[in-house]
Amino acid sequence: MSRAFVIALLGLLPQLLAAQSSQFGVRGLGFPGRALAVRAQGTGGGFGLFDPESSQNPAALAYIAALTSGFTITQGFRSVENPAGSASVRSTRFPQLVVAGPIRTFPAVVGFSFSNYTSRDFTLATSQTINPRGTPVNVSDTFSSRGGLNDFRIAGSYRLGTEWAFGAGFHIISGSNRLTSTRVFADPSFLSSRQRSELSFTGVGISVGVTRQFGSTFALSAMARSDGHLNVDRDSTRTGTVDLPYSFGFGLRWRPIAKLDLAGQTLVRTWSGANSDLLAMGGTGARNTVEISAGMEYASDPRRPYRLPLRLGAHYATLPFTLVPGQQGHEFGVSAGSGLRFAQQRAGVDLAVEYVGRSEGVYSENGFLISLGISVRP
Amino acid sequence: MKARIVGLLASVVLSGCQEKLTSPADCPTLCPGGQPQVYDEVFIATPGTDSSFSGYVQTHQATSLLISNGLQGFEERALIRFLARADSVSLRDTLRGYTIDSVAFSFMVAARDTNLDGVDLLLYRIAPTFDSASSFADLTLAFVPGSLIDTLHVPDTLNAGVVRTVFQGADLNRVQIEASDSGKMALGVRIASPTPTGIRLGASGGGNGAVFTTYVTLDVPDTGTARLRSLALGPAFNTYVSEVPQVPDTMQLAVGGAPSARSLLRFSLPSRIRDSATIVRATLELTPVAPITGLPTDPARLTARAVLADVGAKSPVSSGVGIGGQLPPPTDTLDIGATSVNLEAVRLVELWLGATTRPSALVLSLAPEAASFTRPVFFSTRAADPAVRPRLRLSYLLSFPFETP
Repeated sequence: MSRAFVIALLGLLPQLLAAQSSQFGVRGLGFPGRALAVRAQGTGGGFGLFDPESSQNPAALAYIAALTSGFTITQGFRSVENPAGSASVRSTRFPQLVVAGPIRTFPAVVGFSFSNYTSRDFTLATSQTINPRGTPVNVSDTFSSRGGLNDFRIAGSYRLGTEWAFGAGFHIISGSNRLTSTRVFADPSFLSSRQRSELSFTGVGISVGVTRQFGSTFALSAMARSDGHLNVDRDSTRTGTVDLPYSFGFGLRWRPIAKLDLAGQTLVRTWSGANSDLLAMGGTGARNTVEISAGMEYASDPRRPYRLPLRLGAHYATLPFTLVPGQQGHEFGVSAGSGLRFAQQRAGVDLAVEYVGRSEGVYSENGFLISLGISVRP
Repeated sequence: MKARIVGLLASVVLSGCQEKLTSPADCPTLCPGGQPQVYDEVFIATPGTDSSFSGYVQTHQATSLLISNGLQGFEERALIRFLARADSVSLRDTLRGYTIDSVAFSFMVAARDTNLDGVDLLLYRIAPTFDSASSFADLTLAFVPGSLIDTLHVPDTLNAGVVRTVFQGADLNRVQIEASDSGKMALGVRIASPTPTGIRLGASGGGNGAVFTTYVTLDVPDTGTARLRSLALGPAFNTYVSEVPQVPDTMQLAVGGAPSARSLLRFSLPSRIRDSATIVRATLELTPVAPITGLPTDPARLTARAVLADVGAKSPVSSGVGIGGQLPPPTDTLDIGATSVNLEAVRLVELWLGATTRPSALVLSLAPEAASFTRPVFFSTRAADPAVRPRLRLSYLLSFPFETP
């Protein structure tokens, strides 16, 4: 009862908060997604490499026992600060969709997922005074982008006995940025201007993963991924390519007691491979990133671990696309969540609330991400 | 428990799916591609290709009749020939004769100098034989004191509206129509005022011409109200004549006047603007040869129309600008005494951009055409001083350098 109350309170929290949006997705390919389902988000991402509804490790699919579909919606409320001022922004994302199921006569699971690879949704507003024709005129400029990159993964996992699980995935990375630059003059003698451009991206990648179970209380997981390169078209004209990173991940999971599940993981991505390409295109470059996550899931009733467990976690990550050359942004987040299965476990909802703080020099933002996951096992 | 879950979900959903993504930008760090740059550039009309053409609207087609007494150093007089008045009226399938009780003339004052009091209209009875070829000199002899039939005072409080005079009794002799005139009444109108001024009277071209009304009693046996009739006649022809006919100067750009003149200007914009620029302001700058003159409180309007096909004087022009021609053409008032004229024409210039076969040309005209005391004449590209040549001042943005990515 008290746990449900706490969860409900967390759900209501965003209504009480000032809301905001990310300025760290302005440069490069945008703000990177984490390919996590809500359950893993509630643990700070610590269970990402073990979570079958997340898309970080194809080997994790092996833990799916029945046909499962999952859908995630994330509402972000952030406050942004930079030398130009501050603002509150809100954003809505559908960062994760997964459908997977076991093959009956074979110890394998196949599935596909649709994840947010990067997000580049923002609107930047400035105002200044210019002197066209020698007369001061106030102008308001907005530069906006809508879109990002999506990661469509087709993956399979093969379970070798009760200890080993191997997985592989094929990724199609595509998306677009619809860019708009608008200038509005305070003097009505001037018309406002609106210019548009569209960047479209395509690329493919592969991923492999493995999970090793040591008894019933301890497991290790690892993954590697290569995303090749991204073809970049601007208004239907090829403008170049951007090397995408190799990713490596390692995680461990420990269940010291039946009620408590602990996990932690590290992900490293070689985004610096894109540095020269982005610089050549006029960007500010990219740097390698590391993401460290840890979390726990506490189930009050070990026989029914799906009934309102308490999830807690935290993560720290560096950000790939720098706002200022020579610097690198980073993100820190703490999260909490829970979930519930019902209708004979054929349906379930998960909720996660995450407080994130991001900064790079004088640029910072913080806020809450509220994620709701719906899963169905028909 | 289920209710709690529903409430929980609702709170999350209701907490705000509406996006709000706008945040302040710290440029240039947070402005991919930089910021828009506005460029200013002046383009002189293509040398030697600007011209004036006249004869578009004749004085008898104008929406107003101009009357003046030295406003521009010369006099203008109006001539009105009314429709023929029949000598009988059909009543109960029978043509009946009539006896004239009274006659009235009414005129619509379209515009006048409202700052000037003591303005009179002098009505002269003239022969109804004038036409569009008649000149001021041809009719000089008609405007003699003996022909003056009335002086119609324009109330000082009247800005615009109808003025009327009535003849009855013995005065009817002054407006009697001779049999040789076949029932046609014609008037000449001058103006008298303490200082030179002008007045615009309504004309048939504007649908508000003078009205000649005859009040009659029919020659019928009964004594009912059917005996009383009024015969209202509008102008069959009206025009005005000027003491100093307009002489077009081919070296300048005349706009307006009578017959009305229009000016055709051609521009040659570079491809970097035609293909890539977003024009945010376009100002057509013209320099009058002499300060703008005209009737105070009744300024004319200068209008620019885009040329659809450049075939010289008869070039068809678009009635509007903007997408689908939904917006009115660029128009601005010509202030009396102005020594420069700036006409904002960005919507017109936009029509020249991109993949279009439209010529980069425009036609200047005056409104009301052939019905304004303002007759601007502008320097053309043939002027010795480049600073007074017609020019287009553009403020534009080139393609925004969107960062990739």
